[in-house]
Amino acid sequence: MAPPATRSAVVVGGNRIPFARAGGPYAHASNQDMLTVTLDGLVARFGLTGERIGEVAAGAVLKHSRDFNLTREAVLGSRLSPHTPAYDVQQACGTGLEAAILVAGKIALGQIDSGIAGGADTASDAPIAVNEGLRRALLDASHARSTVDKLKALAGLRPGQVVPETPRNAEPRTGLSMGEHQARTAAEWQIGREEQDALTVASHHHLAAAYDRGFFDDLVTPYLGLTRDQNLRPDTSLEKLARLKPVFGKDLGDAATMTAGNSTPLSDGASAVLLASENWAAEHSLPALARFVDAETAAVDYVHGAEGLLMAPAYAVPRLLARQGLSLQDFDYYEIHEAFASTVLTTLAAWQSEQFCRERLGLDAPLGSIDRDKLNVNGSSLAVGHPFAATGARIVATLAKELHDQPGETGRGLISICAAGGQGVVAILEAVK
Amino acid sequence: MADERTPRATRSDATVLDHAPALGPLYARALLTAPGRGGELTEHEVTQHGARIDRERLTAYDRVCGFGVRDELPATYLHVLAFPLQMVLMVDRSFPFALPGLVHVRNRIVQHRPVRADEVLDLRATARNLRPHAKGAQVDLVAEARVGDELVWEGVSTYLAKGAEAPGQALSGHDELEVSLPDDASPAAVWRVPKDMGRRYAGVSGDVNPMHLNPLAAKASGFPRMLVHGMWTKARALAALEPRLPEAYAVDVAFSRPLLLPATVGFVASTAGGPDEWDFAVRPAKGGREHLRGRVISV
Repeated sequence: MAPPATRSAVVVGGNRIPFARAGGPYAHASNQDMLTVTLDGLVARFGLTGERIGEVAAGAVLKHSRDFNLTREAVLGSRLSPHTPAYDVQQACGTGLEAAILVAGKIALGQIDSGIAGGADTASDAPIAVNEGLRRALLDASHARSTVDKLKALAGLRPGQVVPETPRNAEPRTGLSMGEHQARTAAEWQIGREEQDALTVASHHHLAAAYDRGFFDDLVTPYLGLTRDQNLRPDTSLEKLARLKPVFGKDLGDAATMTAGNSTPLSDGASAVLLASENWAAEHSLPALARFVDAETAAVDYVHGAEGLLMAPAYAVPRLLARQGLSLQDFDYYEIHEAFASTVLTTLAAWQSEQFCRERLGLDAPLGSIDRDKLNVNGSSLAVGHPFAATGARIVATLAKELHDQPGETGRGLISICAAGGQGVVAILEAVK
Repeated sequence: MADERTPRATRSDATVLDHAPALGPLYARALLTAPGRGGELTEHEVTQHGARIDRERLTAYDRVCGFGVRDELPATYLHVLAFPLQMVLMVDRSFPFALPGLVHVRNRIVQHRPVRADEVLDLRATARNLRPHAKGAQVDLVAEARVGDELVWEGVSTYLAKGAEAPGQALSGHDELEVSLPDDASPAAVWRVPKDMGRRYAGVSGDVNPMHLNPLAAKASGFPRMLVHGMWTKARALAALEPRLPEAYAVDVAFSRPLLLPATVGFVASTAGGPDEWDFAVRPAKGGREHLRGRVISV
């Protein structure tokens, strides 16, 4: 049997709620609340009330066990047709972009004509688990047949075991937080404090300018009194950021450079992006902003392999470029997720390093540098905030709109997102004019 | 507080509140002023200007009733805002019935458009349509909410005063709310309503009627156990239909039978007329007479 013919998947548009800082205005909103209103905002924007969409793929990283079917529940609570199937995706910070890749792939194969990718995360409404000892005792008690056995199962409990466990932002295999991992990578690559702070200032200024010129008017829907991202500091400056003390890698002494300013804050929020075949968009009189061209994921061995936790995009991008026959310089826009300012800078440094590109990527020559004026032109996670699973769809929708808006016949953008577990998800979009 | 000093209303009296009164003292006052009621309705009107939404309280209400946390208010939440005004009316000595013994038998809400949590509301409550009924007398507590000059919401709560008398003629046909749901329809959802649901709803709505909070008070009111507020049951039913409601609609319910706690009930719903129009009922899961029946129509 011949492989199925493929067609283009296009980005129609997106919607998100403003991202809030943890403990802020969304402190009592759940992932399901946020994802539902985000879907409803998308429905309102594109006239999808009662519409059966091919599928909705979304997820959350910090997720309650009761939310096992989070995305489907959000669909059922939304104004989409209840006949719209949905499933949850989880690839840490890569969740939203991975969901978009899944949806775009099905559209390209002709399996669906339309789909929504998205994600939600709340650091405020995070699950709290019972202590492992208590959990085991409760399960044993529920499995016990007699009352005596039930009591026996519970009798072994010690007072310390009833203390709940709060989630930690740490890698299970290393016990180190993402910030501690990245602090080591940044020190290894000798990424300076000042260039991190400069990238942070640019992120805030770009985001503020984009809001001021109305760029987000058809990308963001206010929620719970918030109309702009809460973390945005339009008046931040190198001087202000310079006053902050390092919070990660403090054991590195003078090499500690990562502060609360040049790291993303814990955030709450949700986002969604509508993808479709060109026919479906035309039939619904909806725009096609950009083609979802191709994508790649990579993973690195950060446990034993002497590679940084957040370095996987540095591996994914060259593979994607090779497949597409492109160079790193063949792009009009670069969206490199700002988990930390130093993540962006180490990734760029790696692509410029002759040694890294030869030894780690097996390339004859380094990928080279990029025009920094094309990087995160509408701000990114340092200013917007980073509700883990919500970042991917935010970036896809933002880049697609920027590509469509820019003058010129063509336009191409690269998305690069690092994720926990040593993973990286990257993709290419091209303007549809 | 304005209501504490409100004298007996004259035939066209107006009470203007600058904030929603607490309902606990009003319930106490209702007991004290119960004797000696009677007569006809006055033109007493209670208003509150510039009512604002407390988002934390709204979120707590959403959680207890099953609504998602949204910027648009559940239609039943406007009742929570208007109810204290209705209480001021009923507690006033000019109101013909004593509050103890009044039974909320019907509630009709019209949402002319979704109301957002950041809108500032002018609320108004009056009592109308005092009329005889087969079991006594009925009266409508009528409330409305405006944003500026725009009427955005109306609520009519019908109360029955068992054994009371009223002048005039009984309203024919007004009493029945016809819904087309088969008696043996299997429920779309089963709700397990815990023993403390009355207390939880009291906490988020402010309606601290003692029979919802205390088993002894419930017994004193003639119920074997605590019962949940009818407006919780209505809100819970509306929440179950939330994504499938029209933008502008009327939701009319008849409270047929108290919901004693704890309880396991079935929610039955079926489209009626238009695609966003619904007939629904809340019935005991094990069968038996319904607790509530209702209808949603577009307006």
